[in-house]
Amino acid sequence: MAAALFLAGGLSWAVPCRAHHSFAMFDETKVMTVVGTVKDFQWVNPHVVLWVYTTPKDGGAPELWTIELTSPGNLTRVGWSRHTVAPGDKVSVEIAPLRNGSHGGGFRKLTITDTGKVLTSEFRDQERPGLQ
Amino acid sequence: MKFFRGRRVLTASVLCVCALGQALAGTIDPRPTPADWAALAKLPDWSGTWVPNITDQSRRIKADPTPWNAAAARQIKAMEAEEDAGRPRGLFVNCLPEGMPSWMLISHNALEILFSPGRVTLLGESDGNRLRRIYTDGRGHAADPDPSFHGDSIGHWEGTTLVVDTVGVLPQSFIAVSESVGVPNNGDLHVIEHLYLAGPDTLHDDLEIIAPHVLSRPWKTTRIYYRQRAKKYEILEGVCLQGSFTDGKDKDGNAIFVPVPQIDGNPKPQ
Repeated sequence: MAAALFLAGGLSWAVPCRAHHSFAMFDETKVMTVVGTVKDFQWVNPHVVLWVYTTPKDGGAPELWTIELTSPGNLTRVGWSRHTVAPGDKVSVEIAPLRNGSHGGGFRKLTITDTGKVLTSEFRDQERPGLQ
Repeated sequence: MKFFRGRRVLTASVLCVCALGQALAGTIDPRPTPADWAALAKLPDWSGTWVPNITDQSRRIKADPTPWNAAAARQIKAMEAEEDAGRPRGLFVNCLPEGMPSWMLISHNALEILFSPGRVTLLGESDGNRLRRIYTDGRGHAADPDPSFHGDSIGHWEGTTLVVDTVGVLPQSFIAVSESVGVPNNGDLHVIEHLYLAGPDTLHDDLEIIAPHVLSRPWKTTRIYYRQRAKKYEILEGVCLQGSFTDGKDKDGNAIFVPVPQIDGNPKPQ
């Protein structure tokens, strides 16, 4: 496990919405924080994907983590764009880790290190009409 | 035909669409008259972008259970157990359309509804092939429609309610209650919908789903959508398979799509 990853159990978060597959492969009872550098930010349907390199504490090779978000349409409605993050950005990302232990997870919260900007993807808050 | 009681019913031998005027023999889609365009203004206003109430979709899994027959119920129970164990079997990971009735039942994405003479069109998001053409020109169902994901839909207005009758859906199209729980309809699917404004900016779709091979009785359920008009809610293009590729260059420097290794519809983690 990379030193840049922090795991907390038993937290209860609203389940992010995804449009393509069930989210059950992600362990929503756990929160892991992935700290590293963005390799790529893939702004496509059905899921936006954030690829982040982390550096293990023991000096091993960087690990590439694959973090899945909801669709570009749903993210746009909660303040994201395809320019929200870019390759090379330093980030801290809270995820629900994959249950199988692979280096990936479901997105919960992004903090952009240089600016301190925080973004989430919880669009169920918008289940009412006439929003701006 | 019960569905068109009191309306002009057209048959294959009467191809003109007299409700639109200017009918031409052999033409099913004649040029609309000014009166046809003006008539659209008398329909209820369904403009804007409609976003689903996902919380209500989830709530209804238990509050409004699907009346599966015994064989389907066994499969559903097994799928739920797999999902509970963190091993979901995604129903739509191949990027084929959710189709009818699953699009209306479980979509997490927005839709828009367009009125034109003789037709209502539903356009979805997240899947480039997600659209429904609902003919309101008085025609009946095609005699032998090619099976399709969204079926053969005809509609008519009862006051401010759009009544839609859909047949001709592919037997493989799922009746899904979530993205990992559902079974194919297995044929002879018939869906009757009543769409109407339940509030100034709230659209209800009352569905009656008749699926004799997987349901023990017709299933009546409702889905709720909320209207948004802000720019950020406008529908974006969505091509499901695009997520299986990333940007790249070929040997000549052309911009191309490069496949991303996938596992069950997800990028393969390292």
